[in-house]
Amino acid sequence: MMEDQPRSDTNKNSGLMLDIINVKKSFGELEVLKGIDLQVQRGQIVSIIGSSGSGKSTLLRSINHLETIDSGEIWLDGMRVNQPDMKGLAFERHINSVRQNMGMVFQQFNLFPHLTTLDNVRLAPIKIKGMAKPEATEYCMELLEKVGLADKADTFPAHLSGGQKQRVAIARALAMQPKVMLFDEATSALDPELVEEVNQVMKQLAHEHMTMLIVTHEMNFANEVSDHVLFMDQGVVCEQGPPSQLFTNPKEERTKSFLKKHLEQQ
Amino acid sequence: MNFDFTPVWENIPTLISGTGYTLFIALFAAILSLVGGLVVALTTLYGKKIFSSPLRLFIWLFMGTPLLLQLYLLYFGLGQVGILIPALLTGILGLGIHYMAYNADIFRATLQSIDNGQTEAARSLGFGRMQTLWFFIVPQAIYRALPQLGNNMIIMLKDTSVLSVIGVSELVLNAQFEISNTFRPFEFYIAIAVIYYILNLMLETSLNLFEKKLEGKR
Repeated sequence: MMEDQPRSDTNKNSGLMLDIINVKKSFGELEVLKGIDLQVQRGQIVSIIGSSGSGKSTLLRSINHLETIDSGEIWLDGMRVNQPDMKGLAFERHINSVRQNMGMVFQQFNLFPHLTTLDNVRLAPIKIKGMAKPEATEYCMELLEKVGLADKADTFPAHLSGGQKQRVAIARALAMQPKVMLFDEATSALDPELVEEVNQVMKQLAHEHMTMLIVTHEMNFANEVSDHVLFMDQGVVCEQGPPSQLFTNPKEERTKSFLKKHLEQQ
Repeated sequence: MNFDFTPVWENIPTLISGTGYTLFIALFAAILSLVGGLVVALTTLYGKKIFSSPLRLFIWLFMGTPLLLQLYLLYFGLGQVGILIPALLTGILGLGIHYMAYNADIFRATLQSIDNGQTEAARSLGFGRMQTLWFFIVPQAIYRALPQLGNNMIIMLKDTSVLSVIGVSELVLNAQFEISNTFRPFEFYIAIAVIYYILNLMLETSLNLFEKKLEGKR
């Protein structure tokens, strides 16, 4: 049940991949998303920056429906992700099929500790896509090769470093051949010397024109890899634009003070 | 005081038969208590209220009353109203259900201890609710539960002796039978104490080996 045509579309701007319209979300009294709009084109790489509590992670998690939004619309390549009218099993089936098109990478890796590296990567293609085991093994070994961990195929996650774990997590997400990759502070939990190996893998994906939405604290990386950067503050998109403009010549006061604070830290 | 173990040696086939029964009961009660315990834990945690509420009551009742009393109720109580279950089956059911309640409590705790990130990772790949439980949460919960389950199974092996009161010819009852023939209670009780000890030592050793094999998967 694999798609035969090459998935990655090298022609940029050939269509809207993610369309987020006026998304609102509250945790109790606290409104964390106050009407977010965001468009991501096919093959585009968009980074979201902002301080903790700005709502950037909540936005990313909402796209994968790990958080249920209160109002607004989320569209992935013409499919509506949130379906307020769908209930129970119908929605369960809907969201399972939608999620297969999104790869999610978590800050805490969330590898499955009871499975080997290879099984972490190949279980979803086998069980969900119905891929034959030999075929899935070959394909997933290629992915592990790509993230530089083919020699760790039979290793359990407990014996991997943080950087290695995150690279396996990326391979695991890629194994479902997603249309978009969502990175939720993928390097925030890593020791500084391990950040680079994960960034390298992400850069390689960018080079292959994977559509990516990246929530990050790393301004240098966002500057280097993104086509478009959003600065979020207190639940709204405060400022957005190409990295060259946003990082060197921000217009909003809040963006300026955020960047200043962050550059002092680095 | 003079000890004479000759009667024990002469009647060793009775003790061997008793050991066989003890192991047979322990094995099937263990399977019942482990499988049932997992099902009960999953139902109480993730099932609909109409199923989970009575099961919570069941755990509460079986953990709060003595095993001996539960066996009496199953065997003599049900017998009074015409439900006659053979003693061996009653023993396996009684022991199995009693420890099912304890195991369910352990499974419930370890199922809840699995980090929510595991569920999120599985769901984000497109696994459904049941698949997520089956492939990711349940296996990890089982690995984490093993040491405590092992302890329970060791206690249960010893508790098979309680079945002597409803006439299951396990080790204790068989020993008592030979004591009434030979009038050698001390020797026989010491002999079966040694047998219980050896059985549990073997069980503990194999559990430790098993746990070691699974090290790092939790």
